Amino acid sequence: MDFTHDIVRITSALSTWWWILLGLMFLFYIALDGADLGAGIFALFSKDEDERGAIMASMAGFWDGNETWLVVAGGVLFGAFPLVYGSAFNYLMIPLMIALWAIIMRAVAFEFHVHARSSRKVWGWFFAIGSLLAPFFAGVALGASLQGFPMQNGLAMAHIAGRDYSTPVMHFSGTALTWLTPFSIWTGFGAVIAAGLAGGLYLCARFVPGDVIHERAKGWTSLFSLLALAAIVVTLVWSYAIFPWAAAKWTGPNWWVWAAWMVIVLFFAFKSMSNHSAGHNFVALLWGEGVVVLLWAAMWATMYPYIVPGTWTIQEAANPANSLAVFTLFMTGFVPIMIMYNWYQIWVFRGRFTKKSIYAAH
Amino acid sequence: MIIENSLPVLLSRLDFAWITTMHILWTPLTIGMSWLLFFLEIAWLRTGDERWYKLNRFFEKIFIINFGAGVATGVTMEMAFGILYGPFSQAAGPFFGNILGFETITAFMYEAGFIGLMVFGWGKVSKGMHAFATFNVGLSSSLSAMWILVANSWMQTPNGVVLKDGLFQVENWWHAILNDNFVWGFPHMWVATVELSLFVMAGVSAWFILKNRNADLFTKMLKPTLLALLIVTPIQIFIGDSVGKDVADTQPTSLAAMEGHYHTYLPDGKPNTSWNLIAIPNANNDGNLFQISIPHVLSLLETHTWDGVVKGMDQFAPEDRPDVWVPFYAFRVMVAIGFFLFFVALWGNWLRLRGKLNAESLRKNPWFLRVVVFSAFLPYLAIWTGWWVREIGRQPWVVYGLMRTYQGVSHMSVAQEVIWFAGYIVFELLVWAGAWYFFARVIAKGVDGIAPSDQLFHHGEEGDAHAGGGHAQASFAKPMLKAER
Repeated sequence: MDFTHDIVRITSALSTWWWILLGLMFLFYIALDGADLGAGIFALFSKDEDERGAIMASMAGFWDGNETWLVVAGGVLFGAFPLVYGSAFNYLMIPLMIALWAIIMRAVAFEFHVHARSSRKVWGWFFAIGSLLAPFFAGVALGASLQGFPMQNGLAMAHIAGRDYSTPVMHFSGTALTWLTPFSIWTGFGAVIAAGLAGGLYLCARFVPGDVIHERAKGWTSLFSLLALAAIVVTLVWSYAIFPWAAAKWTGPNWWVWAAWMVIVLFFAFKSMSNHSAGHNFVALLWGEGVVVLLWAAMWATMYPYIVPGTWTIQEAANPANSLAVFTLFMTGFVPIMIMYNWYQIWVFRGRFTKKSIYAAH
Repeated sequence: MIIENSLPVLLSRLDFAWITTMHILWTPLTIGMSWLLFFLEIAWLRTGDERWYKLNRFFEKIFIINFGAGVATGVTMEMAFGILYGPFSQAAGPFFGNILGFETITAFMYEAGFIGLMVFGWGKVSKGMHAFATFNVGLSSSLSAMWILVANSWMQTPNGVVLKDGLFQVENWWHAILNDNFVWGFPHMWVATVELSLFVMAGVSAWFILKNRNADLFTKMLKPTLLALLIVTPIQIFIGDSVGKDVADTQPTSLAAMEGHYHTYLPDGKPNTSWNLIAIPNANNDGNLFQISIPHVLSLLETHTWDGVVKGMDQFAPEDRPDVWVPFYAFRVMVAIGFFLFFVALWGNWLRLRGKLNAESLRKNPWFLRVVVFSAFLPYLAIWTGWWVREIGRQPWVVYGLMRTYQGVSHMSVAQEVIWFAGYIVFELLVWAGAWYFFARVIAKGVDGIAPSDQLFHHGEEGDAHAGGGHAQASFAKPMLKAER
């Protein structure tokens, strides 16, 4: 009996499943840590260290959990799609490296700011600058991924070995700066704008109305709402112009699905803005996060069946069937568990803040 | 010269070696200390003794700074395989990628999901829930160590896989996970984390006694810590010996490098049984320029016979030999520290037996306290040197016997490799300097500022909003309606 056909079908189903979960893990990261990063960008313009301290204190209990969704996304990518993990990260070395440095800056700022006396200002700036650079370079990496990258097999370091090393696996074969294009730089700015909006919505909901941070975040959020709408339009038009795989879908036979989706996005954005104006901060935050969910899902769907457009399809990039099966069996059940304890941790630390809130002794 | 020592490959090895070295500076304390904090918390809950609570809250401050440094350096690690060793990550993906995926899902995130509760949850969740959170941080960080050791051990002894279509495809998951090196390698690493944490806590306690600050409180801490070390230190020596035998069986090149053992036979044809105390390898890596050696000891150690044959470097092709310098000396430093720490544990418990383990007698003869403070640093060095032996001894392979290191390296220019190295030197040293500076700050501040535990659930009016939120105004989960504003 020949099971080859069945195995191909199983691999296809399981790899699609992990592609969906991968999208979900990235979504958790941008939706949750996006707000934390945006609040950090807001802190760039804070007048004093008490304000930065209060902003940091407001997320002290869960920033680590939020940030860790990125690590989980990386782990899922490595576990299910190592061929992408090992080539895309090679391609994205420089933007990822700088984003990782920014993450280091933020992480140490969280731990040191509270203990510091004379160096408080340094750590306050580390927090703010790290919060700016991380989304910028993550956005650059995303834009660069959408553009795809060149690959060859058996290359890597073979040239220095002076002997042939052959493998059918396709490696990244571009240069250090292949990722650098106007579009990828633009997506970096787009990510900063999106994070800035999420951060503003978060700060409005997190700080007591009347508090200085709350009041400043209100104006900030209104400004970033408009910037974000403009950024969405620019990104969509630009993508339509340069990505045939996107254009083919958006104006293909199912164009009305995409159009309807866009109308829903605009409705969510409108609800977020109107709730924000009415002072319903938490509701505004939820509608705003809804926009993120909808756009992210649309991007993921547009890329199908590719995981890196024009470079890796989901099928080609997936692990062999038995590795995927083991990964599915042992790891899928943990996904809802991860969501539950992260939700619990955020729920425990709910409540409104004031600028006076000290990053109390812990 | 082996290809792995040519500039581009050497740099990519250094790039990874540096971030690993600077990451393993933090994680062992997180892993070990989370359990010790859990025991302190349980001791407090069971006895109601306020002193355990104070010690717990005090050491927790060091713990959280350390944890932050571990996260800061750890996120890079999870991405660095793909960045620096892309082709390796691709080829090893079916096993190695899965295991790293297991690690992020069942350990890294698990830990992050409870660390906030553990550190900022005091007074916001019940005491039982808090102890549960601490327990989960302990379990998750140990799980993390286990998965990482599964992955790294598999690189040393890649059991259970076949190379097919350019990928290491798994034939037997149990053989791959419970590979030869893992069986002793993981216990060796895990016990090292406990030993390090016990010595850090003992060292800090000794410092306080030495300075006569809260001396009785810290003597109370020192006693069980030293007792635990009396058990842990000899166990670690035993496990370490087992790892050594394992390496001799499964990685003879690594063992030959660790012992600077070049010639399997002496010129007269008899087996070379000498164990080198000191060796200076020559530039061709085919013999020692100088050595001080003791006959028969090597055979006794590795074969448990008077003149058994131990394979030397000359049994392997020149391009398959690891460098000797680092494995040889790093191994000796690690072993020396292991025995010294055992001696410190003996000394402390001997003092206790003679009734001299109290603040007053200890300060009268402060040498023991000084040695304990010094010993807090030694496990760090032992862990570093041990890991260097592991990684450099495995060269020139990234997956021992199956994939050369140069075959696993990413497509990068030398400039990229240098920028990575330079950038991480700056950032990792900053983390190191900052974290140790604030350790010192926390220790200097001491325990007196810690509020008693009965104030945990006592919530005042203004300014009560603790870090992380909580009892401020619970309007975050409940959307604010117009009427409420």
